[in-house]
Amino acid sequence: MPEGDGRPGSARLIPRAVVMILGSALVGLAAHEAGFTRAQTLSSAIFILIVLATLCFWHFRLAIAFIGIAALLGTKALTLESFIASSELDIILFLVGMMVTVGVLKELGLFTWIIQMVIGMRRMTGPVFTVTVVFLSALLACMVDEVTSIVFMAALIFQVCDTLKIRPMPFLLISIMATNIGSSGTMLGNPVGILIGAKAGLTFIDFLESAFPIMVGSLCIALGVLVWWYRKEIKVLSERLEARRGMGLGLGPLVEVPYRRALAILVGMIALIASHHFLEDRLGVAKNTILIVAPLFIAGVLMIWRHERARHYIETEVEWWTLLFFMMLFAVAGTLEHTGVTAEVAASFTGFFGKDVGVLTPVIIFTTAVGSAFVDNVVFVAAFIPVVQNLVNELGDRTLWWALLFGACFGGNITMIGSTANIVALGMLEKRYRTQIHFVEWLKVGALVGLVTSAAAWAAIVLARWLFSW
Amino acid sequence: MSERTSPQTAGAAESGIDFASLFGPDEVLCHTGTTDRDTLLREILQLLAYQRGIGNVDEALAAVLERERAAATIVAPGIAVPHARLGAVDRLVVGIATSTRGIVFKPGSAPVKLVILVLAPRDAPGAYVQALSSLAKICGDPQTPDKVAGLESAQDVHRFFERGGMALPDHLCAADIMDRDMVTLQETATLQDAIDRFVRHDLIDLPVVDADGDLVGVVSAYELLRVCLPDYILWMEDLSPILNFEPFAEVLRNESSTWLAEIMSYEYATVSAQAPAVEVAKEMTKQRAREVYVLRGKRLVGTITLQDFLRVVLRE
Repeated sequence: MPEGDGRPGSARLIPRAVVMILGSALVGLAAHEAGFTRAQTLSSAIFILIVLATLCFWHFRLAIAFIGIAALLGTKALTLESFIASSELDIILFLVGMMVTVGVLKELGLFTWIIQMVIGMRRMTGPVFTVTVVFLSALLACMVDEVTSIVFMAALIFQVCDTLKIRPMPFLLISIMATNIGSSGTMLGNPVGILIGAKAGLTFIDFLESAFPIMVGSLCIALGVLVWWYRKEIKVLSERLEARRGMGLGLGPLVEVPYRRALAILVGMIALIASHHFLEDRLGVAKNTILIVAPLFIAGVLMIWRHERARHYIETEVEWWTLLFFMMLFAVAGTLEHTGVTAEVAASFTGFFGKDVGVLTPVIIFTTAVGSAFVDNVVFVAAFIPVVQNLVNELGDRTLWWALLFGACFGGNITMIGSTANIVALGMLEKRYRTQIHFVEWLKVGALVGLVTSAAAWAAIVLARWLFSW
Repeated sequence: MSERTSPQTAGAAESGIDFASLFGPDEVLCHTGTTDRDTLLREILQLLAYQRGIGNVDEALAAVLERERAAATIVAPGIAVPHARLGAVDRLVVGIATSTRGIVFKPGSAPVKLVILVLAPRDAPGAYVQALSSLAKICGDPQTPDKVAGLESAQDVHRFFERGGMALPDHLCAADIMDRDMVTLQETATLQDAIDRFVRHDLIDLPVVDADGDLVGVVSAYELLRVCLPDYILWMEDLSPILNFEPFAEVLRNESSTWLAEIMSYEYATVSAQAPAVEVAKEMTKQRAREVYVLRGKRLVGTITLQDFLRVVLRE
């Protein structure tokens, strides 16, 4: 679990280290007993070690991932070639390009303009603000990514709540949940989306046609749940807004923002990404090449245009810590695939649940949702992708990819450590207000929203299979 | 805010060391005819050098005058407590002079009739304030200067201090080093009042109190800037939309009707008036605060800035 209050004390470190090493050793032992090869046993144990490290030693997760990779390479469970091949450099570079572009958009005032539009809304009420927060969070997550979305939405919520002197937690939580749900709408929304898209060979349009409508439907259901859950807080916000309006005061200063260039860049980037399949066909390049290259190309152009800030974008706007962790994680998950561990898991999966997609869909949604609730969803999906890949190859039905996507994104809402967006937002809350949310306080509403939306996604997939013969 | 020259009220347990034990009748110049401050200080120091051994008199005088130049040490009408910290003394040394004619300590101020010179060891932070604290009772009585100046002999002067029951506190309290002369805002004040006070008093933080004088928050000039330039405006690299302080315009338009709460912070450092003064340093360090608010119950009774703390504890 992330240590929200800073570095853990040494008294808390030792039991966690014992849990981590013991858990890893037990998995290794179980794998050995189950007849796994030496390489399979080692890769399973080290993968579990890294997963447990993210839970027990959030601040040391990258260091532990480095050591894990070194151990895999040193014990020949992983070769340098397969390390490079499975570290998903394409996805890492895609994320680098997106992060640079988002950094430029921020400086050009795009997000200032968006927030000012909300702050400057006339006749704002509690329900209107809540609906705006929900849809804006989801839309921003779709257009940029979940972490960027929550960073900017949190700034909006803090501004409004500070001005009205109300507790920001309910509205931050509403925004986080909408962000996680919205992040399933496109490939840009979540590293999970691009990972699944790249592995499954899904296009941006596939996401728009299949994932986006289900995301919007689930978002509306979540909105209903959240408005009911936080009805008192929304009422207070309405009253404070009315009182402030009565005094002729706004929610913050509004300035003229030259946003058009930034908006044009964003629209251009999304258009280029959306047309990647068409362009790939026309240019005769491999599938998803343009998808990966588009943010990099745009980032390159922007870095030439704003060359005096180029180093800042690379050094500050790119989350190298997270990206390096993802690389190590993907490599370990790749080892599971190369050594055949995931094939074994997939076989036992079908052995236990059968080969009916109608049964496997909810199993994958809810397994992923619950798994993503306790392990970062990227970690869980990285490990689960090869399993789903085996199932899809065997059953010839790509519905299971959508089940994995929705389970991972919606399951991230269940607990406060379920997704990167949750952790980033809670970090911002802690830094600003020196306050933390209790695990149970989040779990009560998070489990409700996570499970209801996962059930909605399951129902929507069943409906789509029936109506559109997915 | 005033220079700290007013006597302090001791808030801590007494040490049992009587102020009168710090000097004897031989260290009292009774009914001095000298009216010049520097000459009188030299006379007292020469007396102390003879009686106690305080090292070089010229160096001691230079140290006392340097402190005097920083701010006159008139602690109450008619009473001055000049002081210095010297490497040559290893405990508090006190010399006293009385004058019926009065000594000009500070041009434009009423003449001083009772001079209490305190010399403290160089490595005794706060020793002077401890001594001053024990004098709070007599300094608070406006009759004291005339009463002491009228005493016939050095023995009588010493007896006056002996009978006064003045004891040095065991340690300094927050109340001993706080500034009571503080600028505050009522909670009903507006943003306009706050900005006026920031500018008029050259302050960046202002405590806000309710009708009972209880501390309810602190408004800060930094918060004012934050309100005018929220995060979403700071994201922009291009400052052209705000080159003419556009975000400040709305604040100025509404300053007379804006709640003070807009720039109120509820995170600030406080200590109890009775807390040891070192607690002030602890709070400042822990909370990275430049100012600590001293409370008696919930009532705001004083403030201690970092500069005050350094000056009073490490330099006085």
